[in-house]
Amino acid sequence: MIELSVSRRWLMGGAFALLSLFILFIHLLPLDTLPARWVMPDLLMGFAFAWAVRRPEYVPVLLLAVIFLLADLLLQRPPGLWAFLMLMACESLKAQTGSLRVTGFPVEWLTVAGMILAVTLAYRVILAVFVIEMPGFGLALMQMGFTIVVYPLIAGVTHAFMGVRKSTPGDLDTLGDRA
Amino acid sequence: MAKDRSNSYDYAGPLRRLLFVVLSLVLIAIFLVWRIDSPRVERFRLQVTDRVVPSFDWAMAPVTGTVNLLRDFQSYQRIAEQNQELRRELRKMQSWKEAALQLEQENARLLDLNNVRLDPRLTFITGVVLADSGSPFRQSVLLNVGARDGLVDGWATMDGIGLVGRISGVAQNTSRVILLTDASSRIPAIVQPSGQRVIVAGDNTGAPPVDFLENPDLIRPGDRVVSSGDGGVFPAGLLIGQVAADPGGRLRVRLAADYERLEFLRVLRSYGSEPVRDSAGVVAPLNLTEQVEGLASD
Repeated sequence: MIELSVSRRWLMGGAFALLSLFILFIHLLPLDTLPARWVMPDLLMGFAFAWAVRRPEYVPVLLLAVIFLLADLLLQRPPGLWAFLMLMACESLKAQTGSLRVTGFPVEWLTVAGMILAVTLAYRVILAVFVIEMPGFGLALMQMGFTIVVYPLIAGVTHAFMGVRKSTPGDLDTLGDRA
Repeated sequence: MAKDRSNSYDYAGPLRRLLFVVLSLVLIAIFLVWRIDSPRVERFRLQVTDRVVPSFDWAMAPVTGTVNLLRDFQSYQRIAEQNQELRRELRKMQSWKEAALQLEQENARLLDLNNVRLDPRLTFITGVVLADSGSPFRQSVLLNVGARDGLVDGWATMDGIGLVGRISGVAQNTSRVILLTDASSRIPAIVQPSGQRVIVAGDNTGAPPVDFLENPDLIRPGDRVVSSGDGGVFPAGLLIGQVAADPGGRLRVRLAADYERLEFLRVLRSYGSEPVRDSAGVVAPLNLTEQVEGLASD
């Protein structure tokens, strides 16, 4: 039973890596080379948060770090900074998993929205401190808003199609015990 | 068993926290190194892109193709109207073509008469667009030609008609083109026919504004903007676009290149103009130097 849950953990970790690569792939498609007037929500961020809240053990910290560093490198962001902030946010969400399990979805949504806001703000503040050219404020704000609005959808997809659900008291946890 | 679990939790907790701290420090270190020595890290970024993106290519090409096909399919609905429009344009073009041919012949004759030598080294390589920047905040594309094909940083890229951007970052098999619309793009240009020197400064919109304009009165919408070659990085005389005024009265450049569909890009090889180094020497009769040497030895 232990082996089963460990292999499932690896499987779901791999699934998350594939999902991230797929999102990056969509971003990189050369469909629109005109400057955009509107922005896609940051799906990578949304999915990372949704998985971290539901099943922290599927998104180990090393995997998150590698994926977000790769995203930084591929998407022309200052390497390391966004990845570091995302790592902090995901870890603090993971720490709250226990309390978020008992409360309903609205609380989770609020928590995640606060996290998105905090990450976006911190990112801009640090860029300003290091005197690095910042992306347009309007577009960044729009992206943040979209990500928050779309989060329930992302959570729904994560729950329904990817089978990543919050562990309930009846569940066997990863080590084969009752939680 | 419950005891077992709590043991393993205690064991995993600090380890996990340590890993988290180490990873965070590594990421911050990468960021700081990038801030201090950005060329080296950018080269690393290019190498990663060079590895990753071409491996996506097998899937990217068909998906892009399919989406473009669907978009084309939508435009079939207006096919009759488009057809007429095209015919009208074609008629106009034919008259222009005639004029161009006559001018070309005349030009060739004049060049021949004057014994003009044009720069023979402005040849080009054509590359395919592999991927875009992937972020709405940066405007760049990735080409499938790189150092293997002899590309050098700073070369100009065009589509068939106008300037698109310049090479910024060359890896072994790929290279990145910063588009004129990117917020960090600055291209020295001349506005014809008044001949004023300006800078076309990208600002993440479709039509980059004209900067450092000395006398706005001499410029009117519709004037042609071509690259000036100032600074020696960029070849001169490449068409950038036409001047247009936005509703706020600011002068912008309507780009000549078709930015909606960047598929194939030409990279112009330019090795820069050689500077004239030696100063003028005294022209003396041949035997004069011998006399001078003879005097010196006496």
